[in-house]
Amino acid sequence: MTISSTAPAVGGTDAMADARLGALDRIAELGPPTRRDEAWRYAPHRQLGELTFGPSPESGPSLSVDLDSVVPTLSGPRIVVVNGAVDRDRSKLASIDGIRISTLGDALAERPERVAPHFELGDVDDVFLAANIAFGNDGAVIHIEDNVDLDIPIHIIDVAVPGDSPNGTCTGVVVHVGSQSSATVVETRVGFTDAFGGSNIRTSVTLDADATLEHIVLQDVPTEQIHLSRVDVTQGLNSTFRARSFNLGAAYGRLAYTVHLDGEGAHADLSGLFFGFGDQTLDQQLDITHAAPNCTSRQSYRGVLDDSSTGVFNGGIDVKPGADGTDAEQSNDNLLLSNRAEINTQPRLEILADEVACKHGATVGQLDDTALYYMRSRGIPADEARRLLINGFADQAVDDVGIGAVRDWITHRLGHDDV
Amino acid sequence: MLHVKNLTASIDDKQILKGLDLDVGAGEVHAIMGPNGSGKSTFAHALAGREGYDIEGTVTLDDADLLEMEPEDRAAAGIFMGFQYPVEIPGVNNMYFLRTALNSVRKARGETEIGARDFLKTANEAMALVDMKEDFLNRAVNAGFSGGEKKRNEILQMAVMQPRLAILDETDSGLDIDALRIIAGGVNALRGPERSMIVITHYQRLLDYIKPDFVHVLVDGRIVESGDHTLALHLEDHGYADFVNTDLNDAPERPLTGAPS
Ligand SMILES: Nc1ncnc2c1ncn2[C@@H]1O[C@H](COP(=O)(O)OP(=O)(O)OP(=O)(O)O)[C@@H](O)[C@H]1O
Ligand SMILES: [Mg+2]
Repeated sequence: MTISSTAPAVGGTDAMADARLGALDRIAELGPPTRRDEAWRYAPHRQLGELTFGPSPESGPSLSVDLDSVVPTLSGPRIVVVNGAVDRDRSKLASIDGIRISTLGDALAERPERVAPHFELGDVDDVFLAANIAFGNDGAVIHIEDNVDLDIPIHIIDVAVPGDSPNGTCTGVVVHVGSQSSATVVETRVGFTDAFGGSNIRTSVTLDADATLEHIVLQDVPTEQIHLSRVDVTQGLNSTFRARSFNLGAAYGRLAYTVHLDGEGAHADLSGLFFGFGDQTLDQQLDITHAAPNCTSRQSYRGVLDDSSTGVFNGGIDVKPGADGTDAEQSNDNLLLSNRAEINTQPRLEILADEVACKHGATVGQLDDTALYYMRSRGIPADEARRLLINGFADQAVDDVGIGAVRDWITHRLGHDDV
Repeated sequence: MLHVKNLTASIDDKQILKGLDLDVGAGEVHAIMGPNGSGKSTFAHALAGREGYDIEGTVTLDDADLLEMEPEDRAAAGIFMGFQYPVEIPGVNNMYFLRTALNSVRKARGETEIGARDFLKTANEAMALVDMKEDFLNRAVNAGFSGGEKKRNEILQMAVMQPRLAILDETDSGLDIDALRIIAGGVNALRGPERSMIVITHYQRLLDYIKPDFVHVLVDGRIVESGDHTLALHLEDHGYADFVNTDLNDAPERPLTGAPS
């Protein structure tokens, strides 16, 4: 990874400007990740090295494609970001009582305090996060006051149309859900052109006491691209974070989540599906930190890997001293459709508290020949029987999604609309 | 209708079927009985088209060479095999599975596919036949079904598929007394002049309900005796001792009626 400019993005407070300069230094210090970095072991290092990041353009290239035909049909508010810059014409920035949906650029100009944590450099050791801090100054900000129940999902669509230099784009998303409030945010990531490049999207989530957020990521960029997604969540007392991720596109599609359970009784429930073909590598990196007592966390991921695709599930549960009464579970079930496909699944558990219930398990299987025969003996052609079995496996992740339009999009994308 | 001639089947050089002959005419019901491990299920799978066997001999259904066909083509030709051990398919909805199965064979036969609403009618009729509750249709195929429920589901599938030739492999095992009566009633309702059945069972009890036209004894990969339903009664009393490790010619004197043509 290199940078195409030594001038960081602008906007916001002096502290943010300092953080951006610090981020540039950090990029130089850290250098690109290597195979020795546990969290990047299966990443395509050569391709990561070819990514360049720089300031986002004022506006992205105009799209000649019908965006609505490739994203789920959601009628609520939406923000469309193209190459790191909000496309206002395609966005619907409705203002609803108690909810402010704005662009990150506007938030930096008008209410920078609301997005301050998003630009804190701290002890960042992820070079792509440093790049996002340095260059990502547009995107979406969703700010939900206390005591608001929003039942329509907010849609954030990120479109990557890689240019020559930089070929990478940075987008920032900030979501805050106030006390006793609930909301659903859908982030759809798509792209156009068959050029090499990558999107680097960083989402910061803060949940106040008793807040609930359902956060869905649909990753379906072209298989020429790299997709780096990082969702950082801080949860307050008794809050609930539900993540549903579908990692489908990209040469290397990385969906990383770091969740800090900071308030007692908080609940994090993450589930997802990764479905790889060709040479794709689909990487799920999960780090759940239990920092308060009596929190629960669930990680439940399914992988389907065909051809010579590679799946990665690296799931961490870190129980800090004092986080007594922690209840954490993790599971990763995989279906390998080809003998060249590969899955690397690894739990990482560190438990430094008392009365902790921690369960984890992983399975790797192939299509059940007996089930295939059974279906064929009922007249179902072999290909169709295979498809039914694969979809049956994948659907158990899709069933976790509450929004019908999103479920429809996924099933359509997986090629089984009619189930 | 079905002609099986000198059928052999082996797995890894182990011969299981050793020259099996059987002729089943249209509308006939044939029972096959035989000791554990004698090859009954292997015969059923050989007819349904399971892969993994080395098969020799000939099997024709209405003059078509069955052994050349894929399992799905055999289903389209009218073969239905009720499994001794029905397979659980997590994640695949039972109703969707049934409709896909029916429409697949209809498509293969050049018939129009059946829409969701019309299919529901078909499914409801079939469910009434085996006294099955509707929620079974909304569950995954056989997943978590009890042994008896799985067997019911097999007959439900048969009722929906309306096969030319049904091979029922121990459909009676694992059924309680009431369920046996219901399932047998369902099977009887599906009997017809154009539909033939091969009923594999260990128990005379089932044959009290489903009266077979012929009974065959399968021992060590061969049919060693054939007769009418009284043969089953004889087996019930005497077991297979007369047939095991004995030459066919040494079989006891019994009136042989209605040997298959
Ligand atoms: N895949 C296999 N590999 C090796 N041996 C096999 C295989 N399948 C079947 N056999 C053997 O073939 C023989 C016949 O099996 P089959 O299941 O046909 O018997 P069966 O007559 O149906 O018995 P049961 O009454 O117990 O159901 C048995 O000895 C069995 O162990
Ligand atoms: Mg058997």
